[in-house]
Amino acid sequence: MKYKILKALDVAGLKVFEPIVRLCYGEEPRVQVVKIGKFIVVPVIVFCIFLGLWGMIAPRHKTKYGEVPTPAVVWDAFNGVYDFHVRENTKQDDYRRSGQDRSQTIEQVNAELAAIEPDAAAAHKHLDEVKAEVDASLKAELKPLQDEYNVMKTAAFDARKQREAELKEAADCIKADDTDARESLLASIIDHENKTDADRDKLDELKAKTNTLLAAKAPRLLAAQQQVNAIEEQRMYLNMRLQRLESDNREVRLADAETDLKAIHAEYLTASGPKLLALGKNIVRSEQRLEKTKTAEPAGPWTFFEQIARSLACVFLGFAIAAGIAIPVGILCGLSPVVMASMTPLISLFKPVSPIVWLPIVLIIVGGFYANPDQAWIQPSFLASAITVALCSLWPTLTNTAFGVAAIDKDHLNVARVLRLGFFTRLFKIIIPSALPLIFAGLRISLGVGWMVLIAAELLSSSEGIGKFVWDMFNNGSSQTFAQMFVVVFFVGAIGMFLDRIMIVLQRLVSFDEAPTAI
Amino acid sequence: MAYLEMENVCVGFGPASHRSEVLTDASLSVHENEFVAVVGFSGSGKSTVVSVLGGLIKPDKGVVRIDGKVAAEPGPDRGIVFQNYSLLPWLSVKGNIEIAVRQVYPKMKSRERTAYIQRYIDLVNLTGAEWKKPHELSGGMRQRLSLARTLSMQPKVLLLDEPLSALDALTRGVLQDEITRLWEEDKRTVVMITNDVDEALLMADRIVPLTPGPSAGFGRQFTVDLQRPRDSATLNFNPRFKRLRNDVTEYMISLNEEARSLRRDVDITLPDIEPIQIGAA
Repeated sequence: MKYKILKALDVAGLKVFEPIVRLCYGEEPRVQVVKIGKFIVVPVIVFCIFLGLWGMIAPRHKTKYGEVPTPAVVWDAFNGVYDFHVRENTKQDDYRRSGQDRSQTIEQVNAELAAIEPDAAAAHKHLDEVKAEVDASLKAELKPLQDEYNVMKTAAFDARKQREAELKEAADCIKADDTDARESLLASIIDHENKTDADRDKLDELKAKTNTLLAAKAPRLLAAQQQVNAIEEQRMYLNMRLQRLESDNREVRLADAETDLKAIHAEYLTASGPKLLALGKNIVRSEQRLEKTKTAEPAGPWTFFEQIARSLACVFLGFAIAAGIAIPVGILCGLSPVVMASMTPLISLFKPVSPIVWLPIVLIIVGGFYANPDQAWIQPSFLASAITVALCSLWPTLTNTAFGVAAIDKDHLNVARVLRLGFFTRLFKIIIPSALPLIFAGLRISLGVGWMVLIAAELLSSSEGIGKFVWDMFNNGSSQTFAQMFVVVFFVGAIGMFLDRIMIVLQRLVSFDEAPTAI
Repeated sequence: MAYLEMENVCVGFGPASHRSEVLTDASLSVHENEFVAVVGFSGSGKSTVVSVLGGLIKPDKGVVRIDGKVAAEPGPDRGIVFQNYSLLPWLSVKGNIEIAVRQVYPKMKSRERTAYIQRYIDLVNLTGAEWKKPHELSGGMRQRLSLARTLSMQPKVLLLDEPLSALDALTRGVLQDEITRLWEEDKRTVVMITNDVDEALLMADRIVPLTPGPSAGFGRQFTVDLQRPRDSATLNFNPRFKRLRNDVTEYMISLNEEARSLRRDVDITLPDIEPIQIGAA
């Protein structure tokens, strides 16, 4: 068992966790603990240091979407994204509920509404109390400042009045030929102006202090407000649910429509003249609408997790196209130097082209195949993104396959010659197995490239997916959506890592030598 | 009547202007069920001999005949055991033999084939290692597997290209005995290439030294008329064995000196120059 686990870890490229397994089996505990410390604890500490630095540095930069989010804010944003997902799903489920399920859910929602009532009351009360307290303490704090301000204002006013009176007096008694006195009067006027300005500055300063005090929201008050907001939001959500369950529900809609239809039908049987015709048309239209309602699914925005699933589907489609082209062409290139020589210019030419260039071209070309994009089974933007992924990610697989096939051991080919293997036996029994490790190494790089390209492609083509999510968040432009973009960073990274791990395992499984294939 | 024949074979590489001849007018004939050892110094074109006999290299001149018929293409009738095993590393012991058996006996039924493969695995004492991959085997085991794969093709001629030179001395001794035993049990025509005169004396009916290259050919032949089974432990005290070994070794050394003296004739004359001191007052 122990060796099976160790082998599995080795194949998965998770050798770091080996000491934990060994420790669990009590093998040289001291050595294992040292290893865990060195290769697990230290990396974890480094990650924590990274989070700490991020949390410290991020709030220092102000943007038009607010501060750069800290790890805590990003975590909240993730919870927000998750809640949205859950609520959207509930919404859709609510629409589809019928019969007993629906009535039970209504009861349940009512119970929940009733349950949060006391909480809401308590929260409101708490908020009022905190508000009163904060107001009182604010008043107490403001009082001396305001008093000081008032005193200072009167003093400044009086002083100014006095100075002006003095100046007037001085001006009055200046004689016609007294130049010196005139000069000194000018100096006095300047002095007077300066003093007035200084007084005004002091007053402004005091006023600013009062304003900051007034503007500053007490953390206690904010917390209480947030609590109330959360509860109110929950209540609103539950009320919406209730409303949806009771009226905006498929079953209810169908029932309403049928009642209407019956009423019109009854009227139709007795009516005559132009009214009869109008009623008849009405019946036909209503029946059509009824049919539509029966099968219609509720429309809702894509949630983040649905977009992840969509992105994964897109990347795998693109990857499959890439592998489907790259492996056969690569094998041909490896087998024949002539094919290799003729393909090399094409490969070298198209390999460095950026996905941003491919995408518009592909969008237009793919669009050409669609007469009616809205009713397409597979959306053109989705297909274009997948093809862009394929165009950018097929090169590593192509070159690796060609190299793997060309570099086949001559001895293996001699075996094939001695056995007189036919072309296809030689291809499938000797050449492909021998090149498989390199092919998979190429596929691994391709998938990584594809995943990176995909986000950009979705962003530009507005194909639903992670890229579109980022773009929407960017266009929403609030501190909340700013934080959600950081959530995307971690999800994209984690999924990319996971895909890479899968490819490492596959690569390990097809490798026949003991050489390590991954870090 | 010779069973395997190599007639006036010439092999060379490179363009016409810098052609290096490896074999020149090399002729060899081997009787049916005879064990011939080709002995030569390294670089004398030993492996080229096997490649020509096996059909992997097309000679520039001359032909190879088996049982009177010209054999130009490689085929399962001439089984080659390579020096570096040439096993397929992604296949197990069983798989490596199976690929040969499937090709040579395409009509064999699955159960029959399994039994057939197992017989060859048992024959080379690899029982128990059926599902191991080549990299999990030791050098000796790999060479046994290579041997089993080649034997399973039931070749008319077995070509051994320095089969034991990559092995350590002890394993080598064991395998020498084993190959001899297999040959005695199931006689067939064997050409073995080796650089070890003792090995050749122990295993072969006849020793054919290869004159040192370039332009190698076959030299004087020695018939080894020692009685079988030969025991490597006691053979060292056998006066006939000693005499044969001396003869072969002396012959080989004389060949080597001859080649060296030949080579001295084409020495490049060095220009007559002397160093001068630059900047001396």
